[in-house]
Amino acid sequence: MAKSAKAERFLEHLQPLQRKLEGYCRRMSYSADAVPDILQSAVASAFRDFDLYAEGTNFPAWVFGYLHREIQNANRRHRKHQQVGEPADVAAPDHWSPPHELPVHQLLLDAPEVVLDRCDADLAGGVRLLRPVERSVLLLHAVGEFKYREIAEILGVPIGTVMSGLARARQHVREHLAAIATEADSTRTRGGA
Amino acid sequence: MTCAEARQHWHLYHDSEGDVALHAEVAAHLADCPTCAEWFHLQSQLERQIAAHLATDRADPGLWARVLASAGAGPLPTRSGGRPGGRGALAVATFVASVGLLVWWFSPNRRDAVDTGLARATAGLHERVQSGREPFEFASTSDREVEEYFKGRVPFPVRCPPRADAGFFVRGAGVTDIDGQPAAYLRGRVGGTAVSVLVLPRAALDAFPAQRAALRQYGIVHAPAGAYATVLREFDQNAVVVVGAADPAALARVINAYGSYPEHE
Repeated sequence: MAKSAKAERFLEHLQPLQRKLEGYCRRMSYSADAVPDILQSAVASAFRDFDLYAEGTNFPAWVFGYLHREIQNANRRHRKHQQVGEPADVAAPDHWSPPHELPVHQLLLDAPEVVLDRCDADLAGGVRLLRPVERSVLLLHAVGEFKYREIAEILGVPIGTVMSGLARARQHVREHLAAIATEADSTRTRGGA
Repeated sequence: MTCAEARQHWHLYHDSEGDVALHAEVAAHLADCPTCAEWFHLQSQLERQIAAHLATDRADPGLWARVLASAGAGPLPTRSGGRPGGRGALAVATFVASVGLLVWWFSPNRRDAVDTGLARATAGLHERVQSGREPFEFASTSDREVEEYFKGRVPFPVRCPPRADAGFFVRGAGVTDIDGQPAAYLRGRVGGTAVSVLVLPRAALDAFPAQRAALRQYGIVHAPAGAYATVLREFDQNAVVVVGAADPAALARVINAYGSYPEHE
């Protein structure tokens, strides 16, 4: 394949995904400053291997796989350099089920936009507190709009891990937001008393 | 299925995952249990809001031009023999402009998208149905009943968008024609807003060459029509238009959900 034709076809596939790739990278990488380098390495690797991509198969999952591996490597290098730990992906049973009634502040259920609009940074913070695999699953689902089997393919994990990871991630994010909403309510109540 | 069993499967139902039989069982339970239907609605509403916030992020406008050029996948500036501001700079500027144009085109918030004949026709139908001027043939809030209704009435399958994906709740259906071609429409609501889904044979786009050309180029077309927003995509042998006085991003979620059935993947 001539290089210009290859680049043209690669860009045709890539351009509709750029916002999603960038958003996923920003929320997954250890620092916003690292995003350009991580994206560049991932895109360079995917472009190098584009001859191996089978036309008509799932390009979004294929290219997100490159980005995910690059983010993992960059985060690992950073942790090693900084000698800081990150919550480990401890072995968790795939058959874990969420409780029927998730603990959610009523305001969060009745008017989620009110809570979310005022604590957008807290939501980002709550996502960063998740275990890496739970964070990846949640973001690939929310930002990448992937189905469970596609997420399993990108992360190289069983689909059961995707299902349990997503359920746990959702529960933890809700608990985090509910705690913030409760705290905000109690502060307001104290202030008004 | 009990309430506890239905709620146990909420994640699968919300994400349109799991097998068809499970979805049918949960849907049947929800049709009979308003408490669970409300519970599912609130859970889904919260998850959609969280997902929307996570998906919205500030973008660095020059980032992709730099990434692509450095990765060797995009136009590179000339390294020598060119005047400053010559062909290399022009290539980068053209590339950045084209990326910007694509971002603008796909942005659901752009206000100046091209008005189109099909968008106007669809918005007109939506308004007539909402005002009662178009005969409303079949009223139902059941996805399954509405899908059955279309069998034999139009020569292509019509599905309701998975409600868990886009929050489209069907209220009824009908058959009309657009430029002599049979067309199916679904009437429903997304949040508190009336939204219609129009399903046409792909050949109907022959009467709307501008939209057909835009679809070939961009894959999805947003177009305002009076007070309404519309979004158009093709799936298999059909063209699908979603219309309503709603956020174009919400309409895009409905149309993407429509295309998420296995036969469309």
